[in-house]
Amino acid sequence: MTWSWRTWLSQLCAPAPLRPPGARPEAEFNSLCIRCGRCVAACSYRSLQPAGWEHGSSAGTPLVEARKVPCYLCMLCPPVCPTGALEEVADSRQVRMGVAEVDPDTCYAHRGILCRTCVDECPFEGDAIHQDGQLRPVVTDACVGCGICERVCPADPPAIRVRPHSGTHRSGS
Amino acid sequence: MEAERTRWRRLSQFAVALFYLLLPFAHRFDFHAVAGNLASLRLGPIDLNEPAAAASAVAASRELTWSLVVGTLPVFLLALLLGPVFCSWICPWGLLSEGIDRIRQHFRPSAWSSTDWKRLRKPRALILAAFLLLSLFSATPLIALFSAPRLISTLPLEAIFLDAVSPVTGGLLLVLLLLEILGPRRLWCRALCPVGILAGYLRTKHTASIHFSTDRCFCPHAPLCQTACPWGIDPRHMASFDGCTNCLACVDQCPSTALRFQLVYFFRT
Repeated sequence: MTWSWRTWLSQLCAPAPLRPPGARPEAEFNSLCIRCGRCVAACSYRSLQPAGWEHGSSAGTPLVEARKVPCYLCMLCPPVCPTGALEEVADSRQVRMGVAEVDPDTCYAHRGILCRTCVDECPFEGDAIHQDGQLRPVVTDACVGCGICERVCPADPPAIRVRPHSGTHRSGS
Repeated sequence: MEAERTRWRRLSQFAVALFYLLLPFAHRFDFHAVAGNLASLRLGPIDLNEPAAAASAVAASRELTWSLVVGTLPVFLLALLLGPVFCSWICPWGLLSEGIDRIRQHFRPSAWSSTDWKRLRKPRALILAAFLLLSLFSATPLIALFSAPRLISTLPLEAIFLDAVSPVTGGLLLVLLLLEILGPRRLWCRALCPVGILAGYLRTKHTASIHFSTDRCFCPHAPLCQTACPWGIDPRHMASFDGCTNCLACVDQCPSTALRFQLVYFFRT
């Protein structure tokens, strides 16, 4: 269902935004979402925002701006999606919104300042993120991409950011 | 003064508008069992999906999602029974458009053309086809994106629940508003809205409709019915798919009994 030129075009327009948990791969999500706002209304944290024009043809679809309000993995939005653009995920550990990446140049821990905010705040502390021998944060494969670390990082701009998955969703696996 | 049927219709339109205005306040108090806009509404366990937006999502994604299709069935059923009442009895954009048209008529009256409504038959079909084809090729559900009922019913959610109107919703509504104010009378509802165009095709011969009896009509020169019609249609000469939305304004205005509304075909006498 994905055309190569379509993928090329979407890459040209804008990088894939961080999608709600359970989102299908970006191209499928974008073509299924009817912008009904049900997931936006379901989120008590108001993490989901409609995408603006800068997202091209994705305008009006839901996204997460992790630095403002991350996803707290309450998992209330996937069941309310009427189109299947969001699929139910059995366990929040299986969510794959993206993966957090640490910038060693700006991360306090990497620069020798004692900081473990991201490790402490991670909902899967020790599993998705842990400290190495020099007390620096290390992100593992278990990271779900909820963006809580990006939200709480004391560095400005944040030294840990979620890189959204585009097309590598692994729900229910 | 508005006559009886139109008064009921206004009540229905305002009730729907009020519902979507109050819904975000309910979300603020952590009530989420009812949620959505006029593209898709969740009523507890029941899904109500708007068929045109759903059709464009099917075209864009090239897959038939079970939940999407099932959710459109109640809406299909309503349309097949009562006709495209979505446009005239439910859609808040339709209410706004009729209001703007009334103000325009107050300042610069212009009568409906006696032929325009007939000439819109082909353009309407072409516009719907274009929307669906472009959805298919761009892999984007364009009807969902540009649906006026979706935009106007999602505006309160953004303004009240999220505290910010997105430039997408705000921008598109502004363009539509300018079209209503500066363009030909009610052009969006009559000719361009893909939601309304599709709704207009969801008819069978059993669907509730307006019936005209030539022998009872005695005002051929001043068609009060067409003047009253918010869609500019002459109900005396219209065919099934000419865009009548069963708003019943013509029946209200008909001085004789030449125009009658028949709810159920089987009971016709």
